[in-house]
Amino acid sequence: MDPIGGNEVRSMNGAKDVEFGVEAYQFGEELHSLMSGPPVTGNSFTALLDLPANQAMELLHSQAVDDSPSELRLKGHCVSHQSPYNHTLNWAPAFPSNTALIERSSKYSIFAAADATVDRVGGGGGGQGSPDSSSMPSNSRANVMKVKSEPADSGSNPNSLPHASGPTINEKQMNRKESGKKGKGSSKRGKTTANDNSEEVEKLPYVHVRARRGQATDSHSLAERARREKINVRLKLLQELVPGCNKISGMALVLDEIINHVQFLQRQVEFLSMRLAAVNSPMEFNVDSLFSAGNGSVTDSIFPSVMPLTWPEVQMNSDRQQWQFDYDKSANSALFHSSQRKMEL
Amino acid sequence: MENVSQDQAKNNQIRWRSAAEQKTYSSKLVEALRHVRRSSPPDNVSSRGRAVREKADKVLAIAAKGRMRWSRAILKKRLKLRLSNHKKAKDRSKLAAAGNSRRKNLKIEVPKKKRLRPLQRRVRVLGRLVPGCRKLSLPNLLEEVTDYIAALEMQVRAMATLTELLTGANAVAGNVAESSNRLEISRQLEHPPQS
Repeated sequence: MDPIGGNEVRSMNGAKDVEFGVEAYQFGEELHSLMSGPPVTGNSFTALLDLPANQAMELLHSQAVDDSPSELRLKGHCVSHQSPYNHTLNWAPAFPSNTALIERSSKYSIFAAADATVDRVGGGGGGQGSPDSSSMPSNSRANVMKVKSEPADSGSNPNSLPHASGPTINEKQMNRKESGKKGKGSSKRGKTTANDNSEEVEKLPYVHVRARRGQATDSHSLAERARREKINVRLKLLQELVPGCNKISGMALVLDEIINHVQFLQRQVEFLSMRLAAVNSPMEFNVDSLFSAGNGSVTDSIFPSVMPLTWPEVQMNSDRQQWQFDYDKSANSALFHSSQRKMEL
Repeated sequence: MENVSQDQAKNNQIRWRSAAEQKTYSSKLVEALRHVRRSSPPDNVSSRGRAVREKADKVLAIAAKGRMRWSRAILKKRLKLRLSNHKKAKDRSKLAAAGNSRRKNLKIEVPKKKRLRPLQRRVRVLGRLVPGCRKLSLPNLLEEVTDYIAALEMQVRAMATLTELLTGANAVAGNVAESSNRLEISRQLEHPPQS
């Protein structure tokens, strides 16, 4: 099975190279521009990036690395998946670093080829389904095999790395945030390599979560991270829906806003239903004709942008008793006028 | 899998915003309002108001086609109320003796105060606001709330236009457009075609 896996990986690598040559060009430019930036000395470089020295050295040796985002990301994946390499990479010669990169690149290529699309926002093939999970075990093992048998596969590196940096640029920000956690993660690095490989091979209904740099990689935290991501995605959708939530940061305040909005809407429904109930006119008419005749303008005029501010005012001013009183006197129009006046404000 | 559910959610939102949905909702609502008008006594406005609210919610839940949990919960509420109304008459005698006293004891003995974190508290409040979502986990709850808010907004829009159209031509002319149209409508309302 392993040689077959190796062949798969190799063919996938080739196909991927063809497929993503264009991307490689684009990212190659980006990388070149960034490569001129970082300073020469190892210490300042690492200080700049807040990374341990050995890994920085390893990456300095490698070919197309010196931009911080992709580096962090690479490190992240490096840490979680190839920890045996970390120990040997103190000023290591180019060979092991290249193989580490080859492994990483081949890992990316697996995701890419299995996916056959560029778009892998969900963290390295999150939730992609059967092709991923089925090919993963064979490929993860094939990685090791391939690395040992093809040390000189440096040709594919520049192509695959820039490509790999593409889809995971979305993770880049998250990586930066989470690189602070590397202290905690480093202790768990050593023991969970085998675990990692099997962890990534998650079952179909589960969301594929990639362990990033410096993060704990046991199943509990992975599950928790997946759960948190789900929650954050849904919360973002809600924030877009509720007006004025985009600026607020912090879950508690956002939830407060959402609660207020729901209560506001429910109160509006209550208010409107009272008014509808008080409407005495018979309702034998064709609703369709009413709607076709300029409904859009009516709604627009009823709901100017100022509405959310004015409706609560109307609510507070007229409590239930007042409504009954008004309605009894058929002062429907009076109420209506007052609300209209407020809306005009 | 996550992306699929997101797409579904977005489709739902688009649905709630469409004019067609609002139209169907409004027509169903009018139908329901006619029922309410006929059945309830016209003088008691507050009870009729409540009935209207309930009917509006019910029609909204029907418009949701039972896809989301809150809509199913609203529909279940009506059923439960009706069933309980039937049952109450039978079981009242039984409960009075044994059940009530037991329940009262339980209530007094267990006034536990849960030390909920503020975040968790808000989640609970939100769960209580949305019908049928009291004991829901946070991701599902957020999904329900998203759909519920979209549906509520549509409900408000529909009911507002309906009241606008029904309360007729006395409205402030400047704000509301199509005054000629409204005159026509008010004429229709004053002299409804006897069907």
